[in-house]
Amino acid sequence: MPLTTSAANPLIRWSYFTEQWDRIQEALLQHIQLTLLAVAAGFVISAGLAFLGLRYRWSIGPITLFAATLYTIPSVAFFGVLVNYLGLGLLTALIPLTAFTILILVTNILDGFNAVPAPVREAADGMGLTPTQRLFTVEIPIAVPYMINGLRIATVTTVGLVTVAAIIGYGGLGRLILDGLRRTFWTPLTIGASLSILLALLFDLLFFLLGAKLTPWAKRKQTL
Amino acid sequence: MTTSTPAIRLRGVTKRFPGSSEDAVSDLDLDVEQGSIVVLVGPSGCGKTTTLRMINRLIEPTSGTIEIEGQDVAALPTTQLRRGIGYVIQQVGLFPHRTIEANIATVPRTLGWDKGRIRARVEELVDVVGIDRHMLTRYPDELSGGQQQRVGVARALAADPPVLLMDEPFGAVDPIVRTRLQDELLELQSRVHKTIVLVTHDLDEAVKIADRIVLLNVGGVVEQYASPDQLLRQPASEFVASFVGEDRSMRRLNLSTVADLPYHHGPVVEVGASPAQARSAMEDEGSEWLGLTDGACFLGWVEGTEVVDGRRLGDLHRFLPAAQVRPDSSLRNAMEVILNSRTTVAVIDDDGAFGGVVTLERIRRALAAPAADDATSPEGALPDAANAGTAAADPATGHGR
Amino acid sequence: MSAVHLAAPPTPTPPVGGTSIEVAATWLAQAAVPRDTTLAQWLLDPDTWTGRAGILTSLADTVVLVVAVIVTSILLAVPTAAYLAHKRRAELASAWVVNIGRAIPTFAIAGLLVPISLRAGYGFEPWPIFIALVLLTVPPMYLSTYTAIKQVDPAAVNAARAMGFNERSVLFTVELPLALTVIFTGIRVASVQVVATEPIRAFLGGDGLGRYVRDGIGQNNPTLTLGGALLIAILAGGTAVLFKGLEFLAKPPGVRRLSGGESTARKVRRQLVSD
Repeated sequence: MPLTTSAANPLIRWSYFTEQWDRIQEALLQHIQLTLLAVAAGFVISAGLAFLGLRYRWSIGPITLFAATLYTIPSVAFFGVLVNYLGLGLLTALIPLTAFTILILVTNILDGFNAVPAPVREAADGMGLTPTQRLFTVEIPIAVPYMINGLRIATVTTVGLVTVAAIIGYGGLGRLILDGLRRTFWTPLTIGASLSILLALLFDLLFFLLGAKLTPWAKRKQTL
Repeated sequence: MTTSTPAIRLRGVTKRFPGSSEDAVSDLDLDVEQGSIVVLVGPSGCGKTTTLRMINRLIEPTSGTIEIEGQDVAALPTTQLRRGIGYVIQQVGLFPHRTIEANIATVPRTLGWDKGRIRARVEELVDVVGIDRHMLTRYPDELSGGQQQRVGVARALAADPPVLLMDEPFGAVDPIVRTRLQDELLELQSRVHKTIVLVTHDLDEAVKIADRIVLLNVGGVVEQYASPDQLLRQPASEFVASFVGEDRSMRRLNLSTVADLPYHHGPVVEVGASPAQARSAMEDEGSEWLGLTDGACFLGWVEGTEVVDGRRLGDLHRFLPAAQVRPDSSLRNAMEVILNSRTTVAVIDDDGAFGGVVTLERIRRALAAPAADDATSPEGALPDAANAGTAAADPATGHGR
Repeated sequence: MSAVHLAAPPTPTPPVGGTSIEVAATWLAQAAVPRDTTLAQWLLDPDTWTGRAGILTSLADTVVLVVAVIVTSILLAVPTAAYLAHKRRAELASAWVVNIGRAIPTFAIAGLLVPISLRAGYGFEPWPIFIALVLLTVPPMYLSTYTAIKQVDPAAVNAARAMGFNERSVLFTVELPLALTVIFTGIRVASVQVVATEPIRAFLGGDGLGRYVRDGIGQNNPTLTLGGALLIAILAGGTAVLFKGLEFLAKPPGVRRLSGGESTARKVRRQLVSD
């Protein structure tokens, strides 16, 4: 059998890139698409939950518990359950991925708003800013670094979880990994795994740079 | 004094916080003159900050009315009201994500001023509060506490509001910076003539800054509303007396200057006077030392025992004065100078000209005098006859004997 | 419909050094359940629980791996972080390690390790998933320990030094006891994460509780998928609750119960107040 020796089945066969480029590209794009969709949806939901929490302080406890419970659901179980009801498709992959981001994002958004010093709020009120002006010119800008940090963690975590979505056939680079494992053919496995790690690092770096760019006043406080 | 309508008028203002059985502020009446500095002082829980925050409606009173220049504040939208009132707090509350320039420009921007006008105003203000213009592009975190507070004042003054509310504005900086900021505030006030209401727990600060002090007791009860001197001289109640403390006389020394004392020539004669005239001058004062002047110039002290007939006063050995004060020195400062020089008398040096003398005894009398109606000028209270014994010790250098 | 059975074909353990094909065959061994079996029927059938592909075996597989990962990670992360934090060393590096750790996708890492493990003769299991899970767990444990030690009230540390404690005593009798609750929180969070992630092992040539979801998807059998998902979720939830309980007990004065014998915190407290 050709696949039994190292020579026949190297960790990576470079010609695969040219021969299967369409497949790699498709997997990569799907991976990015799933990641961004999940994080974007997660952010919208989390912003709503955070707004609720800030408006009604008592709701922060239940919201956090809900988010933490979602986060505790094992990914395999989550995908497995949904596949029975929604079939193999984008939504089945997207719902768990989105759910996993909520704890991270809600926590960071709330941290951001709690980071607005009370004297700054008082000064804003004392100067006659309307609540809306205060929100957009003072509170949100101060919360931005925390939001970016949340997005950074959520995105990087999601990149990793997307690979798991391959078990329901919708996992971007994870499909290359699973395919490699099934066929005991290492090239797609190596490519899929390596690219997903690189993608995570790339997103990490991008969000770091974005954070630094958007928050010049905190430039000395940021760490890579 | 200057206008009939007070800039700020509180009538029957009461605040009771939900869930509390006591009033935080109870039936408070207060008039604040246009262009004056009124300081609210009192122990914690006396409602001084609550009172301040009711003026710009960060707290809504339970009952009573507050007017600013005849306008009921409750009738205005809060945002509009607050844009017309400068507000400075202890922790400053600068916006950390905005440059100094943008911080100062906050209210002008919300008022929709054009860029050129905002820029000009910001530059004017940083000059007024003493911040370098190159700081404008920095962020608050890059400034010291004192600088931040100056920016806070500039931001509060940005739209040129007639009224300035300050809540413990110098509470968070070290004593040296605090003193400087207090001086700067007085300096600033002499130019901008705002109506300022300031809250502090520091009586010394109140005495130094205030035109009038409101001393509040727990529950927002006014114990006394008076000038600093009157408060120290004539405490209206036991509470005030204990609050201003045992050292209130020392505090009062800060309030008056040497120039506030009536002129006192002392045992001083022209250098060309006869020994008989000199002895008579010393006897009048009960002094063992004689001061000599040459026109407006003080020449020095000579020992009384050397003043004998037949010797010209100008030939006697002269000692330069060990203690000298200026007319604008505080009485406390004058006292320190005299005590430090181990004498009992200081020569007043009025820009090179002899301006009389000041003695420990005269300072003591100024303090002991009963209250005057116009408390800021103690002269009226001082006895005209200055026949107190000046000095047993030498008024010149300690080694002069 | 009583003919519920787990037809587990003999699953030959790959001989060490066996060919990849043989190893792959092992992985293909699946639990077969008729599609019309209900979830209740499946769960109530004794055969579901026993045997090589039974729930008990799978649960044991999972628990052994999870415990091994947690213990290994604690041993790696906590002493290192405690030492470095005590010395105030590597603060930037610590933040960096944690960020990088987060960026490592567990499934991808485990996947990458599979061929390496096979070539080295260790088979599909358990080293790749073990290493990947340890990499997942170490960063949060490291981070919580590092910050916990760093946040210990400097007054307590300085007081201990002033009384002549050596650095070792400062770390063991002051810093660690005071940091314990926070350290434990890190361990809890990381442990729950391990339990929640472990089922991917079933897709990497292993078994454990994740196998039922894998087989259910593979056979398009909802009962198996749902049942498996349920088991995994119960285990994860149970772990979270268990650790929460332990954490509750670990809070002072229960510190003693964890550390055994007289509480170190209490010992320090006594030493600090006497003299």
